[in-house]
Amino acid sequence: MSSRRLWIGLLAFVAIVATLLIANVATGNRPILGLDLQGGVSVILQSTDEASADDLLVVQDLIRDELETLGIAEPDVRVEGTNIVVDLPGVKDQAQALDAVDVAGIVTLRPVYACQAGVTPADIGDLLPDGQFALITSDGMQTCVVGAPGGTGEVFSRGSAQAQINQLTNSWIVSVDLKAENQAEWNALAAQCYSGTDVCPSRQLAIVLDDIIQSAPTVNQPSFTTGVEISGAFTEDEVRSLARVLNRGAFPVDVEAQRVETVSATAGADSLRAVFIAGAVGLVVMLLYLIAYYRTIAAVIVFGLSVWGALVFSLAALVSKATNYALSLAGITGIIVAIGVTVDSYLVLFERLKDEVRSGRSPRNAAPRSFQSTWRTIVSADLVSILASAILFWLSVGSVKGFALYLGLTTLCDLIVCWFFTRPATILFARRSTYASGKLLGLEATR
Amino acid sequence: MSDAAVTTKVPVATSASGRLFRGQTAIDFYGRRKFGIAISILLIVATVVSLGSRGLNLGIDFEGGTSWDIPASDFTVDEADAVLADLAIDTEGSRIQSRNSDAGSFLKVQVRSLTDAQASAVRAALADAAGLNVDVINVNVVSASWGSDITNKALRALIIFLVVVAIFISLRFEWRMALAAIIAMLHDVVISVGLYSIFGFVVTPATVIAFLTILGYSLYDTIVVFDRVRENETRFTTTRIPFGDVTNVSMNQVLMRSANTSISSVLPVIALLVVGAGIFHASTLSEFAVALLLGMLTGTYSSIFVAAPMLAALKNRAEPWQRAKGRVVTGADLRELVLGGAPKSRRSRDGEGNTAHDASPSDDATAILQHAPRPRKRRRR
Repeated sequence: MSSRRLWIGLLAFVAIVATLLIANVATGNRPILGLDLQGGVSVILQSTDEASADDLLVVQDLIRDELETLGIAEPDVRVEGTNIVVDLPGVKDQAQALDAVDVAGIVTLRPVYACQAGVTPADIGDLLPDGQFALITSDGMQTCVVGAPGGTGEVFSRGSAQAQINQLTNSWIVSVDLKAENQAEWNALAAQCYSGTDVCPSRQLAIVLDDIIQSAPTVNQPSFTTGVEISGAFTEDEVRSLARVLNRGAFPVDVEAQRVETVSATAGADSLRAVFIAGAVGLVVMLLYLIAYYRTIAAVIVFGLSVWGALVFSLAALVSKATNYALSLAGITGIIVAIGVTVDSYLVLFERLKDEVRSGRSPRNAAPRSFQSTWRTIVSADLVSILASAILFWLSVGSVKGFALYLGLTTLCDLIVCWFFTRPATILFARRSTYASGKLLGLEATR
Repeated sequence: MSDAAVTTKVPVATSASGRLFRGQTAIDFYGRRKFGIAISILLIVATVVSLGSRGLNLGIDFEGGTSWDIPASDFTVDEADAVLADLAIDTEGSRIQSRNSDAGSFLKVQVRSLTDAQASAVRAALADAAGLNVDVINVNVVSASWGSDITNKALRALIIFLVVVAIFISLRFEWRMALAAIIAMLHDVVISVGLYSIFGFVVTPATVIAFLTILGYSLYDTIVVFDRVRENETRFTTTRIPFGDVTNVSMNQVLMRSANTSISSVLPVIALLVVGAGIFHASTLSEFAVALLLGMLTGTYSSIFVAAPMLAALKNRAEPWQRAKGRVVTGADLRELVLGGAPKSRRSRDGEGNTAHDASPSDDATAILQHAPRPRKRRRR
C-alpha cells in the first residue's frame, strides 16, 4: 500500500474522531454520571393498602424491571421501612421522575354488563346499583358498566404477554400464558362470560388498569388450558401497549408516589476528582515506562491512546444520551482498566515487530507482516470481550448491564483504533528512513 | 545460513534482564508447572475454607441495613461521617446522601445492619451532633437494592456467556484451548473472591463489576498467549518434539509482552490505590483497586501457569503430540527454539543429506509462510 493512501486513511480517521469529539464538547453532550458521582432524583413510593414486607420486595423487583424495560437505566430501588425508594440517575426534573416511576398498578379482570359510546362515567356512576361500576375505555370513546373484579393480573405468568401476528387472519393479537395455579380462577371467570350469565351478559371480560378499561375482549371458549389469545381490530401500538399492561399487571399491591427528592452524590465530587487524578497519574507513569522501553515508536501509543480516549468519550456521550446508561464510579474505573487492555494491542504488535526485526527483517518489511499476525490475535481476544459484553448487556440488569455496555464500547474502540490508526501509523513509522536502521523500538541496545 | 546464524546474529545477553529485553529467555515454564499448580491449589483450598467458614462480607446493597433521616439542612455529609467514625461503625459501603424536597432538606445516613445497642447509639450521636432532639430522627430498615433478581440474571448471563465463549474458542482455536482458558478464568475469579473473603473486604456492586472485569481480562490474556501457542504448534507440528517444548517456546516468546501488559495495566490501578485511596481517602476506590490489582496479577499468572500447563496436559494425550519423542529441552537448546531455530534431533538428521532449512522444517503450507525470515546477509551491504 502506498504511503499516500496510508496517510490519507490515517488523517481522515483522526479528522473524523476529532470532529466527533468537538461536536460533543460543543453541544455540551457528555456521558451521564451515575448516582454515586452526580446524584439524581429520588421518588418515594408508598403502597395504597396494607402491604406485607414480602409484597414490598416483590414490588421493588417489579418496579426495577419495569424501569429497565422503559429504558431508565440503573435505577437504585430499595424498600425503606414501609416506603419504596427509587433513585434515578440522569433524570433532570421532578415531573420526568414522577412520570418514569408511574409503572405500578393492579390489573383487574371484570365482567362487563354493557358498553355505550358518548357517555362518561360521571354521567351514570351514581345510577348504578352496588357492585357495578362505570369505567371509561382507554381510547375514551366508550363507557362500560362492569362488575366487581373477578381476578387480577396475577392469573397471567409474569412477562409472558407478547404482541404477535396471527398468521391465519393476518391481524395483531396478544398472547399471554396462564399461571398453572391460577388457571381455575381464570376459567371460572371465562366460563361465566362465555355462557353470558346475569353477571356477564355482554360476554365480554374487561382488563382494567387504574380504573381504565384497557381492553374488553369477548370470550370465545368456555375454558382455557395454558394460554389466552386476545384478538380484535387492533393496531400494532394498541397490541403492544396491551401486552405491556398485562405484563406489569402482577403488582401485589398498588403504590403511589408520595414525594420527590433530589439526591446528592454518595461518592461525592472528591471521588470523581480522585479517579481523574489517579487515572492521569497512572497514565503518565505508564506512558513514561512505555516511552523508555520502546523509544520513538511509543509515539504511536501516545497518539493512539489519545484517539482512543476521544473516541470512547464521544461514543459514551452518544450512547448514554440515547440509552440513559449512567457512568458510575465503577464504570470510570473500568475504563481506566480498559486502557491497559488497549495498550496491550500495541505491545503485542511491537513485540512481534521486534522479533521480526531481530531475526533479520528490515522494519519497513516487518511492520505490515507483524500487523497482520497481531491483528488476528487481537481480533480473537477482543471478540471474546465483545461477546461477553453483548451477552451480559442482553441478559442482565442493573449495574451489570451498565458495565457490559462500557466494556463493549471500549473494546470496540480498541479494534477500530487498531485498524484505522495503529496499522497505518506503525507502517508509516517503520518506513521512515531515520528509523529503518534499527533505532526503532529501542532495539539499538541489542546492536 | 545455518541455525547458528539466528543465534549469533544478536548475541545472547549475559544478564537476565538483558535476555528478557532481547526476547532471549529460555525459562523452563513447563518443567516448573508443578509449582504453579501447587500455588493455585493452595489458594483455591484457602478460598474454599474461607468461604465456608467466614463467607463474604456483603455490603448494604446486598444485605440491607439501617437508615437514619436527620432533618437538619446544615448537617453535612462529612459531619455524619465523623460521627460514624467516632462510634467505630464500619462505614465500608455505607451511603450518606443529602436529600432535598419541597418539604425541606435532610441528610440520610445508611449503614449495614447494626445491633440494637449500636443503632440507638448512632441515633443519639447523630442527634447530638446535629443539635436535634433524638425523636425527630427517623429510623428505618432498608432492604437490599441489589436483589436476588439481579444476581440470578447476571449468573444466567454468565453461564450462557461461558457456553458461547467455549464454542467460539473451539471454532477459532480448538476445544482443548477453550477448556484450559475457561478453567484459568474460573481459577482467577475464585481466587479473587477468595481474597475478598480472606481479608474480609466489603463486597459492593462495584466489587461485582471488578470481578467481571477480572473475568474478561483473564480470558483476554489467555487468548493472546494461546494464539502464540497455536502459531508455534503449526511450526512444530511435524517435528515430533513434545508439546512441552511448544509450550515453553510460546511462553518465552510472549513473556515480554505479558510483563509489559501487566505493568501497563497495573500502573493505573496502583495509581488509583495510591492517589485515590491514599491521598483522597476514597474508600470505595481503594477496595475496587485492590480487587482489580489482585485479579489482574492472577489473570496474567494463570495464563502462563494454569492455562498453558493445562493445555499441555490435554495436548500430550492427543495426536500428533502423543507420538512425540524425547524429553522437553531446556537451556541453550530451548533458547534456540525460542529464537526460531529448528529442533535439534531433526536438524542433525537433516544435516546429513538435505540442505538445511533456516527455520521451520514443517511442510505445512502456512508454516512455511510464517517461518522466521532468512537472516539478512550482512556482507553484501
